[in-house]
Amino acid sequence: MTDSSQPQTPNSQGFIRAFRALIIVLAVAGLAFWVYQNAVQPEADKPFKLGLDLAGGSHLVYEADVSNIDAAEVPELMSVLRDVIERRVNVFGVSEPIVQVESSSFVTEEPIQRLVVELPGVSDVGEAVAEIGRTPLLEFKLYDEALAAQQETLQNLESLGESATGSRAEIGNVTIDGEAISQEPPFRDTGLTGRYLETAALEFAGGNSGQLSNEPLVSVRFTAEGAELFAEITRNNVNKQLGIFLDGELLSAPNINEPITGGTAIISGGFTAEEARALAQNLSFGALPVPIELQSTQTVGASLGAEVLGKGMQAGVYGLGLVLLFMLLWYRLPGLVAGAALLSYVTIMLALFQLIPVTLTAAGLAGFVLSLGMAVDANVLVFERMKEEYAKGISSREAASIGFTRAWSAIRDGNITSLLSAIILFWFGTSLVKGFALVFGIGVIMSMLTALVVTRTLLLTLPDTKKSAGTLLATLLGNGIQK
Amino acid sequence: MLGSALIIGSLGLNLGIDFTGGSLTEVSYEIAPNKTELENLINTQNLGGISVRASVDEAGRDAYLIRTRDLSESERVELESTVTSLGEAGEISRFTSIGPVIGQELRDKALYAILGVVLIIVIYVAFAFRGIGTPVSSWTYGAITIFVLVHDVLVPTALMSILGYVAGIEVDVLFVMALLAVLGYSVNDTIVVFDRVRENLMANRVEKRTKREEAGVMYEDVNYTLTKPYDKIVGEAVRETLARSINTSLTTFIALLALYFLGGAVTQTFALILMAGVLAGTYSSLCIASPLVVTYAQWRAKKETN
Repeated sequence: MTDSSQPQTPNSQGFIRAFRALIIVLAVAGLAFWVYQNAVQPEADKPFKLGLDLAGGSHLVYEADVSNIDAAEVPELMSVLRDVIERRVNVFGVSEPIVQVESSSFVTEEPIQRLVVELPGVSDVGEAVAEIGRTPLLEFKLYDEALAAQQETLQNLESLGESATGSRAEIGNVTIDGEAISQEPPFRDTGLTGRYLETAALEFAGGNSGQLSNEPLVSVRFTAEGAELFAEITRNNVNKQLGIFLDGELLSAPNINEPITGGTAIISGGFTAEEARALAQNLSFGALPVPIELQSTQTVGASLGAEVLGKGMQAGVYGLGLVLLFMLLWYRLPGLVAGAALLSYVTIMLALFQLIPVTLTAAGLAGFVLSLGMAVDANVLVFERMKEEYAKGISSREAASIGFTRAWSAIRDGNITSLLSAIILFWFGTSLVKGFALVFGIGVIMSMLTALVVTRTLLLTLPDTKKSAGTLLATLLGNGIQK
Repeated sequence: MLGSALIIGSLGLNLGIDFTGGSLTEVSYEIAPNKTELENLINTQNLGGISVRASVDEAGRDAYLIRTRDLSESERVELESTVTSLGEAGEISRFTSIGPVIGQELRDKALYAILGVVLIIVIYVAFAFRGIGTPVSSWTYGAITIFVLVHDVLVPTALMSILGYVAGIEVDVLFVMALLAVLGYSVNDTIVVFDRVRENLMANRVEKRTKREEAGVMYEDVNYTLTKPYDKIVGEAVRETLARSINTSLTTFIALLALYFLGGAVTQTFALILMAGVLAGTYSSLCIASPLVVTYAQWRAKKETN
């Protein structure tokens, strides 16, 4: 039997309490130091991540046209699209461009696929739009004889109408077999697009196989998967025309003479050397797997963002100071404990912002400042219950203990509803609302945790006394206006 | 509450481009040009209906907020050169353009989010207060919570409506977030009061169990009789939670005041709306929720005796 198994004396209990309190204080102080280091050092691993509205920059939203794509393939195509655009925006050399796919939620009937591009520090949105717009859309399509025949019939009908009445007759949507005839060039999709592209290079024709000598050409090499597809298409469609489309325009439609298994193709289209070089260069960054269209843009000047950030931080510091002061004046010694809990809350939240990382926006900062006022609520609930018991003549430590027990159901129910709301928001929300919901949700959990752990431990470490003792300590432990 | 609904109904809400789609350009000047002059110049570009509002940017420079329809890239460039040609040292400090589809989607999402939150709250309150039984069921507390929430959302919305009418301030995503924060705050406040009602009910009731036999099966009926009138119990609960309600509102209000006066212009309206929400939330949980539950209980009692 060792000493530690002996019943603990009140003194050793007090020592353990003080020790726990010390550990908590040190842990929070250490965390605060780490957060500070991360925030101020230029080369920190985990700096704060600032949203575009604070750092300044451009935010672009593109909508991808996936109407012709099999739904099962959409996620993969979108990730190919993301990679292509990512390579593209890396040209800007901005520190951390964000390119992400966002699917509109179930609110709309057909999910819309969007690509969100965030370029911190780029305030010239025109330049960004132009650069992304240079990404080519390359498609290989087969000549569709049936469609061509239908289009010809339609043309004949129209000219017939013209000659019959002497003026152009309106023949609008002529349908054959129940389907409207497309007026596009008579080609159908093969599934072979720029997504299977590996490299592209500028070449000059050697003058054989019908090409003009020294005509600038672009040769493309497919990936293994693309080469297979290309071989299959050419094998099954010998003696047909394969149309090559760039950004929706038909460039050329060479005849397939024999199956091509080498995985390379030549694009000709009457380019000048300059055009061919630009195309080869643009293609080497990757080509769009699906057409995209710019839907919304947003820019914030860098100086403006810094201004918002500075003001938000100032509001946070003053808000924190005022809440601390209020708690101290109203609840005296327990108020000091609540202050320690609030500082722990701020420290843990900031550390989580760096670790997760949470992108800080003006709205997020505002939400955080708001949470400073709300986070002390659990403390207030406990202190009010404690005050009731203390006024009855129970010793301060016991009163604190009862206060926690009694206030628990209110703290629990209030926080669970808040947490449920945060989850719903996160589920429904767009990216901006999601960020807010995340900060709100973590804030709820952390404010509860700091109240239950930090406040409780520190409060139980305070010396025990009774109100009837009438000492200064007894007054300090009492709180608020007593009857 | 009726007044708030009337205000919203008559003045309407000034929906911003977040919800309607369109473009918002903030142009800042060292020396700002005349507003009419600027408007006339922009109108030569034929962008359809435009609205120009004088404002001050974050750096304290004079600025104009120009709202137009959703602009294409070339139109944006043209607008930029147009507005910076006037005044001195004009500069586009902020530009936002949102397509109509995204706007519509955002509007739907905001609505669904608010409805979803309200629904989950009523279910949780009914669940958390189950077994409270006498004299009104837990669903009553849930329903009253909703009523209170509607009140707390209507008040700041009415304020927004007035701000929109008087100062041309527009409803944006931040406003929706402020409303959602008000919802969270208000339900918390109401729950604290109801929690005390629950505790006091449990402490002030006598349990009476009666056994009866019906077709060979034993049933046990549990009846509770309150030792104090219900309205007294609720009144005490309100009094006991008063200090907590006021203190939490105060700390929240203090933080919001700091945000309003020191935070950026972007979040000023957000802070203002929340302040209105916090006041409404505190008032409603003390002065609406509790009297309402008592009135309902009395009405039920009267109906049963008749």
